Amino acid sequence: MGFTFTEIMPAWPEIFLACAAMGLLVLGVFMKTGAARSISWLSVLALVATGILEIVVVPDGGRVHIFNQLFVADVFTTFVKCLILGASAVGIIMSLGYNDREDIARFEFPILILLATLGMMMMVSAADLISLYVGLELQSLSLYVIAAFRRDSVKSSEAGLKYFVLGALASGMLLYGSSMIYGFSGSTNFLQLAKVLDADASAGIIVGLVFVMVGLAFKISAFPFHMWTPDVYEGAPTPVTAFFAAAPKMAAMALFISVLVGPFGNLVAQWQQVLVLIAIGSMLLGGFAAITQSNIKRLLAYSSIGNMGYALIGLSAGTKDGYSAVLIYMSIYLVMTVGAFAVVLCMRREGRMVEEVKDLAGLSKTQPAMAALMALFMFSMAGIPPLAGFFGKFYVFLAAIEAKLYILAIIGVLASVVAAYYYLRIVMTMYFTEPVEDLDRNVGPELSTIQAIAGAFVLFFILFAEPVVQMTNQAIASLTSG
Amino acid sequence: MYVAAVFLPLLGAIIAGLFGRAIGDRASQLVTCGLMAVSAVFGCVIFYVVALQGLDKPLIIPVFEWISVGDLKVNWSLQFDTLSAVMVFVVTVVSCLIHIYSIGYMHHDPGIPRFFAYLSLFTFSMLMLVTADNIVQMFFGWEGVGVCSYLLIGFWHHRESANAASIKAFVVNRVGDFGFALGIFGLFAMFGSVEFVNLLADGAGAEALKKTYQIAGYSIAGQDALNIVCILLFVGAMGKSAQLLLHTWLPDAMEGPTPVSALIHAATMVTAGVFMVTRMSPLFEYAPIALAVVTVVGASTALFAATIGLVQTDIKRVIAYSTCSQLGYMFFAIGVSAYPAAIFHLMTHAFFKALLFLGAGSVIHGMSDEQDMRKMGGIWRKMKVTYTMMWIGSLALAGIGIPLTIIGFAGFFSKDTIIESAFAAHTGWGEYAFWLGIVAAFMTAFYSWRLLFMTFHGKTRASSDTFSHVHESPPIMLIPLMGLALGAIFAGALMVDLFVGDKFKEFWGGAIFILETNKALEHAHHVPMWVKFSAIAVGVGGITVAVFYYLLIPSLPALTARVFRPLYVFFLNKWYFDELFNFLFVRPAFMFGRFFWKKGDVATIDGLGPDGIAATALRSSRLVAALQTGFVYHYAFSIMIGAVALISLYLLGVMR
Amino acid sequence: MVVQALAFYAFAAVLISAGIMVVVSKNPVHSVLFLILCFFNAAGLFVMMGAEFLAMILVIVYVGAVAVLFLFVVMMLDVNFTELREGFARYLPIGLVIGVVLLIELIVLVSGAIPIGKASGPVAKAIAKQPSGHNTEMIGRLLYTDYFYLFQAAGMVLLVAMIGAIVLTHRRRDGVRRQSIAKQTARKSSESIRVVDVKPGEGL
Repeated sequence: MGFTFTEIMPAWPEIFLACAAMGLLVLGVFMKTGAARSISWLSVLALVATGILEIVVVPDGGRVHIFNQLFVADVFTTFVKCLILGASAVGIIMSLGYNDREDIARFEFPILILLATLGMMMMVSAADLISLYVGLELQSLSLYVIAAFRRDSVKSSEAGLKYFVLGALASGMLLYGSSMIYGFSGSTNFLQLAKVLDADASAGIIVGLVFVMVGLAFKISAFPFHMWTPDVYEGAPTPVTAFFAAAPKMAAMALFISVLVGPFGNLVAQWQQVLVLIAIGSMLLGGFAAITQSNIKRLLAYSSIGNMGYALIGLSAGTKDGYSAVLIYMSIYLVMTVGAFAVVLCMRREGRMVEEVKDLAGLSKTQPAMAALMALFMFSMAGIPPLAGFFGKFYVFLAAIEAKLYILAIIGVLASVVAAYYYLRIVMTMYFTEPVEDLDRNVGPELSTIQAIAGAFVLFFILFAEPVVQMTNQAIASLTSG
Repeated sequence: MYVAAVFLPLLGAIIAGLFGRAIGDRASQLVTCGLMAVSAVFGCVIFYVVALQGLDKPLIIPVFEWISVGDLKVNWSLQFDTLSAVMVFVVTVVSCLIHIYSIGYMHHDPGIPRFFAYLSLFTFSMLMLVTADNIVQMFFGWEGVGVCSYLLIGFWHHRESANAASIKAFVVNRVGDFGFALGIFGLFAMFGSVEFVNLLADGAGAEALKKTYQIAGYSIAGQDALNIVCILLFVGAMGKSAQLLLHTWLPDAMEGPTPVSALIHAATMVTAGVFMVTRMSPLFEYAPIALAVVTVVGASTALFAATIGLVQTDIKRVIAYSTCSQLGYMFFAIGVSAYPAAIFHLMTHAFFKALLFLGAGSVIHGMSDEQDMRKMGGIWRKMKVTYTMMWIGSLALAGIGIPLTIIGFAGFFSKDTIIESAFAAHTGWGEYAFWLGIVAAFMTAFYSWRLLFMTFHGKTRASSDTFSHVHESPPIMLIPLMGLALGAIFAGALMVDLFVGDKFKEFWGGAIFILETNKALEHAHHVPMWVKFSAIAVGVGGITVAVFYYLLIPSLPALTARVFRPLYVFFLNKWYFDELFNFLFVRPAFMFGRFFWKKGDVATIDGLGPDGIAATALRSSRLVAALQTGFVYHYAFSIMIGAVALISLYLLGVMR
Repeated sequence: MVVQALAFYAFAAVLISAGIMVVVSKNPVHSVLFLILCFFNAAGLFVMMGAEFLAMILVIVYVGAVAVLFLFVVMMLDVNFTELREGFARYLPIGLVIGVVLLIELIVLVSGAIPIGKASGPVAKAIAKQPSGHNTEMIGRLLYTDYFYLFQAAGMVLLVAMIGAIVLTHRRRDGVRRQSIAKQTARKSSESIRVVDVKPGEGL
């Protein structure tokens, strides 16, 4: 079986990205000094180009399977991939100044992010359990390395190692689950599986599915597979943490959707109960555990656990509206997180990074603009209208209520009240406590631009909520079109 | 062009607001003023194309779909008809002049980019308000101008009084907005739509009269429902336009920089209420009770504010009360169905009141930030241009002109039309409004010249130090003054035929709806001679009295104050409205608040609820944190336990 | 048939017990040796299934390279294994409970003891039998045609692993002498040899 180049058009972006990563790798090796910065910007360029290519080759309506049904492309994958590419590009840009200052500016960093992004794109486009696994591993392996990128720091190495060991365990479970599914159904292909599985599938399939879900839940750091998150977030270099909190979460969540909706779409009743438990656990844990955190990176780690819980509400609704709500939620979450981390990256005192919540004290007096933006992100995460975060929560809760998951929705609302407490605590620290020592001022144009753009998005989302909703609806429509 | 006219100020605001610090003061000024100037040119063109040449039907330019929830569909579009074209014209032109003026006025202020960003943002919100094609979008603009006004009043936020004033403005406006919001809900309940196309369609109001509505289990006749909704909308207008009872914020709002007072609290924002009611004329026309309320409130405000203006000593506050009073005129014009007259006065008023405010700003600027008229005087030789401008403004405000000709200042035509319409309405309320309007006109003339004489004439009461520093303002401030002066002189004479002349129906097209039976405006041209002359007579009378009081016999004011002491004190304390509100609302609210806080909240709810829950939350949080040991094998264990637990749960569920 | 069954059970039994020994044996070197035993038995199972290529690869790659590398690491690093194993007894009970529960559940599932849904066993047809041929050849064919995509993707994974290993461990030290082949070959005799005319009896 051979493929012509036009046949595999939907995979052009991936091919391009892979070639770009390898080309830049070679370029980086041959460039002598100062390679890191130029390779970084070239990588950003490559990501942007991939995004454009992605939009060019998107199949209009319907799904296109290629590579012997291992790879699928549709509006859904395009939507998610564009978000991922954007988040990765922002991740690289955010790392520039940090890496320079911390003396870890090496050209491999952007390359690894490119490869991780490639892995994410492959995950999103996976149409087979094997391609899912390979994509996931490509992504994870790159992430393990960049978590430990600051190899002279014990914390960073520890974070990388922890992530690696636990990630391997989770991957093992996923693989085990996949093998069970194959054993009980005779196929690993999503199309095949969707065809042969119906509501009354054998218990083996479902147990296999639970194992697969464990692996995926680990990747989105949902309860009770979240334990690595706070440690890795705290230990990894801050721009890496920012990247972790954004793109991979989006990719894993999209994968979660496409796995559950595609091959196992007929088993809604079975996976719904598992998801509900995971969602409730994540929301409550994210809400309660963050209260006593003093390190802002740890706090944001718990916050992302909680946020994954909310997103899972939409998924567990098991309706098109629910899936579309997940996409909206994740898009908004992506921007808020990136914005918040861009602020955290500015927390430096005499050139050293500081990471405690109390270091933000009195920020409103010393740097009012940044304090206002951070307050905006926190209010938005707390879900206060009319900011973007409110709409994310609104749509998932709406979907849950329409699916008659009342208890889930109620717990979600209660957990978000608890979570609001610690978001507002940050705002309070910034506005109502006296500054101890000023933070450094020169944050660099990249970070302030990212903050401003994210802030504008959060603030003005209300104005373009409708087109976004329409886009996600379209994405979900093409995902479920079979 | 239409879209650009509205959105250019927003662009300016974004540039100056977000990047102001980066691009510097000068660039922020240039950007905002430049964009505003372009917008003003567009505003003029729009006025020419839409209002003067006329359109068959309103031009609606969709921008994008905004809200779509259930039955409620709201698009974001701009609507241009004669009414909005007039408003766009006034807003962009006045705003542009004030932007330019501010360059001079604010030149030593540290927060220049912020100031210009707010000004431009305000202008955008105001344009959004006047070009809205549905009431929700209008509400958006309405709240937008409210927020900007709040920000601008409190612009000098290090001043305690400025903060208090901005909060007061915000809270009082909230009361009005609450009414407005209820009105919108009511409209949606009645018509099932928020688009003007449906709300204000021909016969929509008449249709509504015939139905009965079921609201919360009560059935309400169409007539009553319409009256209630219109009164609610008017409550919103009262808040924004500082009408009696909700007027208390406007004088305090003078804490803001003077260009702000000119732009927001004289020329544009406060007239939003007038605009809104006029826009809703197809509904108000079918709600006679609401119209009566509008008349009475408007006329009472006109007189009431004028009486306070008589005795104020702060130069800006005098003009502020005068604004309040002139808004009263506009409202009672609406009340007698003379909407065109109200809008006409709105336009002329925008010019001459902005002129007066900016003139006052020029005086304050020259007097080293002195606002008390008792500490001025005799400065006319030192600031001749400003002095001339203030004269022009005052003549326009007092409505000086020669009846039966087209010679006269802008205010003459509009104000006389209003007073004549009130008379020609031939209703009890109209009569009431007419007489109050005449008395108020007398007072208006009096306090205007009182202001002129106290500020510019006589011996100076300023300290010699200040006096020696008095200087004329720079050209950048004087040129906008001249522009506005042109408007104050000619706008009336040029536009009177179009706006309220015999052919006014053709001019306004479908933008304003007047029932066939309400002919106040047509009849206004044929009132008895004494009515036509009464307004100018009292105006001249007022000036004469002022000449006696403040130029010829300077001891007279003190004497009068002594003789009519109770009345004087009553006026001086603004009819004790602030004290009354304080007693009626503020203090009980604080008392209630304190009671519920101490007894209800702290003792009952906190004890059982939040504090208890908070303690539990904290405990569980510590517990979870304790689980986070940092050992990889613990984490691995938790993953295994989680997986096994989920599978066991599932299998147990299946077996059950 | 009987021989085959016997061989299968023998391989499987040794495999599992060796696996257990990897975990429980006190000496890490023994653990690695048991691991190698595991690999051999697994290779045996593969051979029985007719997957001789996989069997050989397992032996060559895992035993020949990976396990030997493990052995080196274990012997060269000075890790106090007794300390690492301290928690072992403490967590044994709970670990056992979880393991046993999972085991029972899986046995129940596979044996089809729970009568839910369809009877257990593949519901779809497995991959169609390929035309018979050499095992290695068949794998090669599949890899380069049907699974071309996965093959390439796996290559990317390996690339990442390589980059990662270099990034995390490679250090450029000062003062290390390196061989520069270009320099060596570019050397001319005129640069390196000086002919000195030494007068007899004078020395240098």
